[in-house]
Amino acid sequence: MAQPQPLTEPAPDAALIAAWQRGDEQAAAELVRRHARALARFLAGAGAPEADLEDLVQEALIRAFRAVDRFRGQCQFRTWLLTIGGNVLKDHGRRAQRHKVVPLDEGLAAKDGDPHERAEAGEAEARLAKGVGALPRLQREVFLLRAQQGLEYDEIAAALDTTAGAARVHYHHAVKRLKERLQ
Amino acid sequence: MNEDAKLHSAARQLGAAAAERIDVERIASRVVERLREQPTATGRPAWLQPAWLRIAAAVVVLVGGGLMVRQFGRPQNVHGAHFVTDDLTDLTADQLRDVLNTLDETLNVGSTTLPEGDLEDLDAQQLQAVLRSLEG
Repeated sequence: MAQPQPLTEPAPDAALIAAWQRGDEQAAAELVRRHARALARFLAGAGAPEADLEDLVQEALIRAFRAVDRFRGQCQFRTWLLTIGGNVLKDHGRRAQRHKVVPLDEGLAAKDGDPHERAEAGEAEARLAKGVGALPRLQREVFLLRAQQGLEYDEIAAALDTTAGAARVHYHHAVKRLKERLQ
Repeated sequence: MNEDAKLHSAARQLGAAAAERIDVERIASRVVERLREQPTATGRPAWLQPAWLRIAAAVVVLVGGGLMVRQFGRPQNVHGAHFVTDDLTDLTADQLRDVLNTLDETLNVGSTTLPEGDLEDLDAQQLQAVLRSLEG
């Protein structure tokens, strides 16, 4: 009778980072698998064009691995990575000389449920995307880290090198503006 | 559902569909490949960071260019050729003869030894011409 395989806890990010610093490429690949989708969601939410999304995710990850010596564990690796993603997106925007909002094509809308509700949801999401794209950068990042990624203010503050109180203020300003836009 | 809850719900969905469409494995292999091709800056001193290298190169070009301009932009010789004999115009024929004799003794070169007798017959202008020819 085959013995059940012992369940092993996934290696924490810190262990994978240390392994990568020792030259373990598989550790780097595992970190990419773990965080790429959340990073893509953050970037798309912040206005990254879908056509460029994979390239932007890749660029942010490369920058993060190259700068990993400067990561002091002040916040989670993912949070730090998202802030690097914000910088990558800013540079991309400068290069493109335009600020694009992620286009909401058919694929982005829900495929199930009532067609009327689906259309309404799609429209609301499009307006929200436009609203988020129009926010000042800090407000946008704080809003996405809080509302989209579900992070606490302390964590957001550590990642953005600000205070929890300031992060809270930025969030409330962002919410106020978005509500006005969505009304 | 109140407005805040609606906003949060919509925010959680923002970008989710686009993120689902990315190919994570492809990104992982590309990232590993690029890290392999261009090794990480880990362990590299701050002064060797590309930005600092660019600044250092720019300084070298500016300073070097400035020195080149100073070196080659300066007039080579504004005074032109200067002959010692130009300073001898005030000397008399006898004094010039003494100078030539002194030179003859000092240089003591056989082929250029000046015939003393001939010098006696030369006037001041001719003696200056001889001195000039000796100066080259």
